[in-house]
Amino acid sequence: MTEPDRLTEPDRMNEPAHTTTPGAVAEPMVAAAFAGALRPRRFGAWYIAEHQLRQMRSYGWTVVMSGIGSPLIYMLGIGLGLAAFLDVPVASGPDGPVDYLWFVAPALLATAAVSVTTEEFTYTVMAGFKWRRLFWGMNASPVSPEQICSGLVIAVTLRMVFVSAAYYLVMVLFGAVGDVVLGTLMVPVGVLAGLAFGLPLLAFSAGIEEDRGQFAMVQRFVFTPLFLFSGTFYPLDTLPVGLQWVGWISPIWHASEAGRLLSYGPGPGSWPLGAHLAVLALLAVVGWFVARRVFVGRLRS
Amino acid sequence: MTTVATTRNPGSLRALYSGNALAVVSRALQATRSSNWVVVVSGFFEPVFYLLAMGWGLGSFIGDVTLESGETVPYAAYIAPALLAVSAMNGAIYDSTWNVFFKMHFGKLYDAMLATSIGPLDVALGEIVYALLRGGVYAVGFMSVMQVLGLNLSWTAVLAIPAVLLVAFGFASVGMAVTSYMKTFQQMDWITFALLPMFLFSATFYPLSVYAEPIQWVIKALPLWHAVELVRGLTTGVLGPVMLVHVGYFLVMITAGVLATTTRLRALFLS
Repeated sequence: MTEPDRLTEPDRMNEPAHTTTPGAVAEPMVAAAFAGALRPRRFGAWYIAEHQLRQMRSYGWTVVMSGIGSPLIYMLGIGLGLAAFLDVPVASGPDGPVDYLWFVAPALLATAAVSVTTEEFTYTVMAGFKWRRLFWGMNASPVSPEQICSGLVIAVTLRMVFVSAAYYLVMVLFGAVGDVVLGTLMVPVGVLAGLAFGLPLLAFSAGIEEDRGQFAMVQRFVFTPLFLFSGTFYPLDTLPVGLQWVGWISPIWHASEAGRLLSYGPGPGSWPLGAHLAVLALLAVVGWFVARRVFVGRLRS
Repeated sequence: MTTVATTRNPGSLRALYSGNALAVVSRALQATRSSNWVVVVSGFFEPVFYLLAMGWGLGSFIGDVTLESGETVPYAAYIAPALLAVSAMNGAIYDSTWNVFFKMHFGKLYDAMLATSIGPLDVALGEIVYALLRGGVYAVGFMSVMQVLGLNLSWTAVLAIPAVLLVAFGFASVGMAVTSYMKTFQQMDWITFALLPMFLFSATFYPLSVYAEPIQWVIKALPLWHAVELVRGLTTGVLGPVMLVHVGYFLVMITAGVLATTTRLRALFLS
């Protein structure tokens, strides 16, 4: 990961980090300091990611238990319980109706990845900027604001990889996947969905100066409706047309549909895989650029 | 604390309860008005979203549901009372765990309160009454939505509001007792984690009959199942003597919860 050097900023290091002799008056300690800044300058994002991951270890058991426990409970409760109760087929693949479990599982995987970001890209960000002011401490080092942002994203991505992979394993155990080999691609698709939802959210959170319950509102009025109206439990076209747009803008719907294509192939009227991935990538990339700008704007002001 | 001990026996009721729980309630109401009322009001929408998404969408694949009594009701009318019970549980738990935890460890609010004539039982009752007021507002709102959508099938639905308060009281008192043992925010996640299976398995979205009998018995031991059955019986008008069992379950839960909370608060603050 090569970050662009921002050496022109007046309030940061005036000397280019890669010149080891900063002048005739250079003392050995100054030279050592500049030499020591080289690696953080280049790999700063990874240092930040390491820090964030170590921080996650303080609630490591929660991460592991919810990462493995939630899929188990959802697969039992929705996948098996509700599936046993439904006697009409809900969804179809290329060869006619598919198991309800096959239909619902990819959506639950995507939701799990997205819900990681509702925690890590909200309260964690607020803690970094305001409550514990960790980002300001990092900012006082050779690490750049962009790298702080990237480091956070790397750490959360790794947590999402773990959650999605755990979900996928549970799905395989429950026989909830059509094509087990192709289905493994649901893990990166789930992570992409998490980024598509999470990076715009990160941009929003990074701009918040005062906590007035915005995150509870995001949870209630953005995450929950997207989860419920994204064709998660039944096909999107069952909803009234007035509500179907919720699915079209929802990373959860795009990732669920992509997961279904990978698991059992296209049903009637499904979009091509590339279209779903393109929407997810677009949301992620736009969110990424805005989030970095907000980090730079706030930490360099 | 020797001076206190000479005037008030720490075990007596006078030391625990000064009859001023309303001071705790009015403090909570003022705090709500000045800081987080938007968040409080928004809590009403959560069960409504679930009702629309599951009742409508999934309902078109399910049609009618046969109750254990043999009556059939539309799917939306089947899950609506369950969502009401779930939101009573969630609201009560949220208030009595996260809020109380914060006030206990960060706001140091109870230290301040207990330094006055207010006793631990006042604090416990005051916090619980506040949680019930909030739960009552949600319940009335959600019942109105059910009425508009035609999901209240009997006049007995009116009784669902006191029933929901009873349920909320039960969860709030036990939740507060559990919270008093919590040391860190991360331990709080375990509560959320304990609620998830109850939410999914307690005959919320489909009847218990899909499970094997031993599993059914486990679920029937859990409080949310009793809450769902009680509220559902009242809104659908399918009543029976078993309703008294559900009510009794919550009466026991309330008594145990209030006793445990008071004991814990006394141990934490007055020893």
